[in-house]
Amino acid sequence: MNEKLVESLVDLYGSRELTPETEEALETLAFNNAQLSHNMSTLRRTVDVLRSDPGPELSEESYQRILMKIYARGAEIEPNLAAPIHLQYQLPIQG
Amino acid sequence: MAERKWLDALAKGDPRALGHIYEAYSERIFRYCYRMLGNRTDAEDATAETFLRVLRRSAELRADGAFRTWLFRIARNLCIDRMRQHKLLELPPDAQYGGSEERSTLRVTVQQALNSLPREYYDPLVLCDLEEMSAKEAADILEISVPALKSRLYRGRKALRDKLGSILERTS
Repeated sequence: MNEKLVESLVDLYGSRELTPETEEALETLAFNNAQLSHNMSTLRRTVDVLRSDPGPELSEESYQRILMKIYARGAEIEPNLAAPIHLQYQLPIQG
Repeated sequence: MAERKWLDALAKGDPRALGHIYEAYSERIFRYCYRMLGNRTDAEDATAETFLRVLRRSAELRADGAFRTWLFRIARNLCIDRMRQHKLLELPPDAQYGGSEERSTLRVTVQQALNSLPREYYDPLVLCDLEEMSAKEAADILEISVPALKSRLYRGRKALRDKLGSILERTS
């Protein structure tokens, strides 16, 4: 296999985009090639580490703070989720 | 189909529509902004501003599947503006965003390695590998071709791998 093709296949191997047959063929090729094997496994691990990151959580506090920033800029927004306590009760009109 | 209904309603000024769109997308937009900006306060500001822009430009909305791309593009542009301000102000990013200590350490390491990558690699990695978007969607957000996106994505993964180095051995 030419070098450029192998490089492209390693890219696809890293992100698990190869068919099982092609993946097996590449693993067979890497069996006696330590450098290729290392490239394949470390690239796949890099992608796995990225994909397993759940990312920052939108906490309830952040959710409400963002809503308040939107309200504060005069936008009309009515989310279905519960509004913060201080917005849930309206004071009776006096008089 | 439901999204089309809400976008039409938003264009007509229905306040429930923005609420619905906020519920549908706030988590993803916030997460994306947080990844781009590195701290919660700025991510909250950028998320709020993104939805305010949606409201302001509701007449331009198209519910043809391009809405999500358009929304992320707005968020991205806002984050880039903020990052320019940060360069001037040198605000520190949050050290971590929760989870067990071991996972957090790994995340911080990965985040630091990601942050040290050139923008042209960072953006495709965030959109495709962290936000799990298709190459087409990510290319549309970044306003580049799909082959260019893929090329940057593959080069970015290799650059990140080289930066992570021995960390990867320890996590295997």
